[in-house]
Amino acid sequence: MPQPITDIYLPRQAKVEQIIVENSQISTFVLAFSDHTYNNAFRHQPGQFMMVSMPHCGEAPISISSTPTRPGAIHLSVRRAGKLTAAMHGLRTGDTIGLRGPYGRPFPMEQLQKKDLLFVAGGIGLAPLRGVINGCLDQRDQFGTLTVLYGSRTPSDIAFQSDLGLWKKQGVDCRLTVDAAEPGWDGAVGLVTSLLDDLKPNVNQSTTLVCGPPLMFRAVLGRLASMGFSDHQVLTTMERHMKCGVGICRHCHMDGKMACADGPVFSLAELRQLKIMELDG
Amino acid sequence: MPHTSELADSHLLKKDHLKGFLRKLAKEYRLVAPVRNRHSDVLFTVIDDLDAAEIELNEPPQNSLKQFFLPQQERLYTYTTSPEGYDFQPIPTSIPPTVYFGVHPCDLSAVLYMDVVFSRRQRDPFYLRRRQGSVLIGINCNSPAPKCFCNATGSGPFIEMGSDLQLTDLGDRFLVEAGRTSGHGLIERWQGFFAAATDKDRAARYQAFLEARGRFSRQVHVEQAIRRLEADAVPDEVFAELSLRCQDCGGCAYLCPTCTCFTISDQPLDAISGQRLRSWDACTFAGFTAMAGGHNPVQAKTEAIRQRFTHKLRDDVRLTGRPSCVGCGRCVGICFGGTDIVRFVERACQGSL
Amino acid sequence: MTNSINEIENAEVILVSGSNTTEAHPQVARRMLDAVDRGARLIVIDPRRTRLAECAHLHLALRPGTDIPLLNAMMRVLLDEGLADDLFIEMRTENFLALRDMLNRLDLEATAALTGVDLPLIRQAAQLYGRARKAVICYCLGVTQHVCGTENVQTIANLAMLAGHIEKEDTGVDPLRGQNNVQGACDMGALPNMLPSYQDVANQDYRDKFERAWGVSLPEAPGMTLVKMTHGGAQGPIRAMFIMGENPMLSDPTLNKVEETLRGLDFLVVSDIFLTETARLAQVVFPAACFAEKSGSFTNSERRVQMVRKAVAPPGECRADSEIIMALSNRLGYAMEYDSSGEVMEEIALLSPIYGGMHHDRLEQNWGLQWPCWDRSHAGTPFLHKYYFTRGKGHFMPASHTEPGETPDQEYPLLLMTGRIYHQYHTGTMTRKSERLSRECDHAVLQINPKDAKAMGLRQGEMVRLVSRRGEITLAASITDQVEPGMVYTTFHFAEAPINRLTNDAFDTGSGCPEYKVCAVRVEKTMSS
Repeated sequence: MPQPITDIYLPRQAKVEQIIVENSQISTFVLAFSDHTYNNAFRHQPGQFMMVSMPHCGEAPISISSTPTRPGAIHLSVRRAGKLTAAMHGLRTGDTIGLRGPYGRPFPMEQLQKKDLLFVAGGIGLAPLRGVINGCLDQRDQFGTLTVLYGSRTPSDIAFQSDLGLWKKQGVDCRLTVDAAEPGWDGAVGLVTSLLDDLKPNVNQSTTLVCGPPLMFRAVLGRLASMGFSDHQVLTTMERHMKCGVGICRHCHMDGKMACADGPVFSLAELRQLKIMELDG
Repeated sequence: MPHTSELADSHLLKKDHLKGFLRKLAKEYRLVAPVRNRHSDVLFTVIDDLDAAEIELNEPPQNSLKQFFLPQQERLYTYTTSPEGYDFQPIPTSIPPTVYFGVHPCDLSAVLYMDVVFSRRQRDPFYLRRRQGSVLIGINCNSPAPKCFCNATGSGPFIEMGSDLQLTDLGDRFLVEAGRTSGHGLIERWQGFFAAATDKDRAARYQAFLEARGRFSRQVHVEQAIRRLEADAVPDEVFAELSLRCQDCGGCAYLCPTCTCFTISDQPLDAISGQRLRSWDACTFAGFTAMAGGHNPVQAKTEAIRQRFTHKLRDDVRLTGRPSCVGCGRCVGICFGGTDIVRFVERACQGSL
Repeated sequence: MTNSINEIENAEVILVSGSNTTEAHPQVARRMLDAVDRGARLIVIDPRRTRLAECAHLHLALRPGTDIPLLNAMMRVLLDEGLADDLFIEMRTENFLALRDMLNRLDLEATAALTGVDLPLIRQAAQLYGRARKAVICYCLGVTQHVCGTENVQTIANLAMLAGHIEKEDTGVDPLRGQNNVQGACDMGALPNMLPSYQDVANQDYRDKFERAWGVSLPEAPGMTLVKMTHGGAQGPIRAMFIMGENPMLSDPTLNKVEETLRGLDFLVVSDIFLTETARLAQVVFPAACFAEKSGSFTNSERRVQMVRKAVAPPGECRADSEIIMALSNRLGYAMEYDSSGEVMEEIALLSPIYGGMHHDRLEQNWGLQWPCWDRSHAGTPFLHKYYFTRGKGHFMPASHTEPGETPDQEYPLLLMTGRIYHQYHTGTMTRKSERLSRECDHAVLQINPKDAKAMGLRQGEMVRLVSRRGEITLAASITDQVEPGMVYTTFHFAEAPINRLTNDAFDTGSGCPEYKVCAVRVEKTMSS
């Protein structure tokens, strides 16, 4: 007898509750499923993503930037990149979108416990790490020191400013750098790798979570290796074109792995096994 | 081992009575079989009029069963966007129980592979609702076509598993072996059509198998290519050279019975409504991996065909123990640029011992 | 084409000129690559390093517009090295001495220098071509879309005749036609000076035949060429137009002039399957049926006439082109009452000798028939010019270099070439409706050499302004060594970047074909970058 099969491709309606403008290109959408029962039961883990539907635009994967320790709302931080994300930037509070998920292998939070955590991000790359950082702060005693290194193009491009402010207040060592300074900026100028030079982490005790554009990623990896980080101590999340989100359609292929289902979170040790653009250049 | 068949429950069906048996099946099932059309092309076709259809069991059909389980394009949902919100509506469909008759071992193997693809990670509702309630009646290949190389991919010319009923042509009669429960059910239901097979018939089947094995006109060293890929011994130049020759038509993927990559896209019907479609896609297209904003993690010029061959001959071997190329040779016939899988296997094996 | 497409597979040497075959004629390219796999030598003459050029044994990257000197140099090498086919020249051609004298006066070094191709490379190409037993020349719009397009083609014919590479199976001269039925349109007299089957309107006997069949009197003088019609200006002599399945508002050169002309008409009627840029200017639009919605025949590049059968009903009020023409003609007072496309074909067979034996019942069989097919018993003609040329003897037409209508100068220092890409077709009226094709390519890019890009400080993908004396457009830069320094290249598919606002309306006096392949431009950075 045919058994009923869950319709894994059916998006659920979600409402935009709030929009936080992070910079000219990035906004964070605070969303809740219109079905309140479902919304209250919804759980995810940091590093996972949602498939977002916008009318006439199809679907795109967006990583969840909220933390599982604060259920009830899903935060999606979105950079304007293509047709669908541009449409999202036209959303207003009260509008509805389609969501399905969460999908993907999350950051291994249990393995991170007791560790000093070093977060290195560029631009929108802070979005998937934001949930991890907030999660750590909500269970502060479970984790060691928290350090955030964040690179932006210019001071006015610095996204997640309110988060950075809150994190600092809660004792997170947040260090910022920009590619190009503007009047009034007295912080660091240069690549995010230069921020690593000033750090003296306890490497054996640490894990690094890196997320950013391929050029930055490769530069950071080189620097981390020279600091003594092994490939197992470096975690990242991969960005790929995706359609199904569940490991079937294969758009996100990475030399045999599927970014959506085998990732998007990978350790550098795992990535070294693969022939991928991010490492080959 | 082919001669100690797992399909041990064997029967005889005289060819004279095949049409009568199919007519009985057609009363309860939708019937799909390879039919020669008026342009002389053989295609798996839904048969409405059994007497008008010229069923062709020797010449391999140009299409596979893929389109019946994963249509070239299917509507997943309709959607509307209004002041009340943005909503998706499932499309009511009923898939009739279908008998797929006259399926060659390559295409049977392909269906078994698709079952894995669409249920391993997640159960795909659109595939499974078509697959559930389907009956597969296979036919072993006594005379493989010139383009065939299923002997090299372990998916023919005879097959021991996968079908509900498996036929072998023994001249004036078919040896019919019942595989699954549903196969036994069919024989029981219409037992008047079947006689008990003897050891002599089973010996004739074995003889046909031996003769079929000798009729392949080409040797394709798939196993060796698999080993070379696994050992990372296929030079980048092979991929670059074939990628340059690939003419980007997607024909290989569309005809391939195991290429199941798809895309999902929206088709607006008016300003406030539209439909979400799922359609075949091909990893050889640059747009398959290009991300919003244009960045592409795959260099089309030198890498376009890498995924196609490493997936079929390395990744799926790791996953299922066998390649997902079933040796049907369809891509060899359609390829514009001479970058088909046989060419790849040849190039991949060059320079190896 | 003098050959059939499949014959290309068997050639020993394939000389391709001005054809981006893998993108524009992939099914022909397939035969070329198959031939290469069998050991054939491939010579590509193209200013750009196309994909086919990368697959070639010899790539002659000539300076655009120097086809004639390049081919003349090759012919001189054939003469010098005794590779001319004397017997063929003697038996089957005329005017050889004129060609020989012209070639012997040639300064080979200087001629090679003019083309920008190294003389040893030219020599090698000539030797390969001249020594082959079976050799084909395939050419396309890169040869014809020049002010000297007709001379370019004649020079190709000179080369083939000099080497005796014509009149045999797997050997000949093959212009590749761009559309499924452009050959058929020419065959049916969609030319200013020809009645169907290339029967000259100036010829009284031909006119008589058609006048008797149609019961009308026909004009004696040739009509106008396309570019003359669409560039007449607001006060041009033509006051009304009926345009079928053509989008001159994107495809013709100097678009500003086309727009002025069409807007200046008293009456414009357009028939097309989609509302094109041209149809938007019309007072009346006839929605037409597409290929899958009508029956009849198409004639392809290899002169093969094939049946096309209606697969689905036309949507809404759409009608087949023939129905539109008949309805219009009936209203205009000339009764046209064909019951079927088969009946139209019977009239074609009656009046067009090369289609004399083509009837639908025969075309239904196998893969159609190749003209000339004189009568019902004739099996069709896979390759042309066996035993004799259409005009009797092959006439050598010596030609010398003609400068393009416009060349780069200080103000406009770059040479612009235009062409096509694989994923879009013509003005995109059909292909741009496909989500999949748009995913692969949905915008125009300007190919520019890394040296030029560096000098201008351009980044990959940066939006640039492309300016000529006639207009300007904005498009994305694609930095690639497919083009040489000093040249840029783009396509004409995209209405957002209508390249023909820039192209020159200089045209070939022989054919009226515009010079799409050469004009002078400059590239400017846009404000936003």
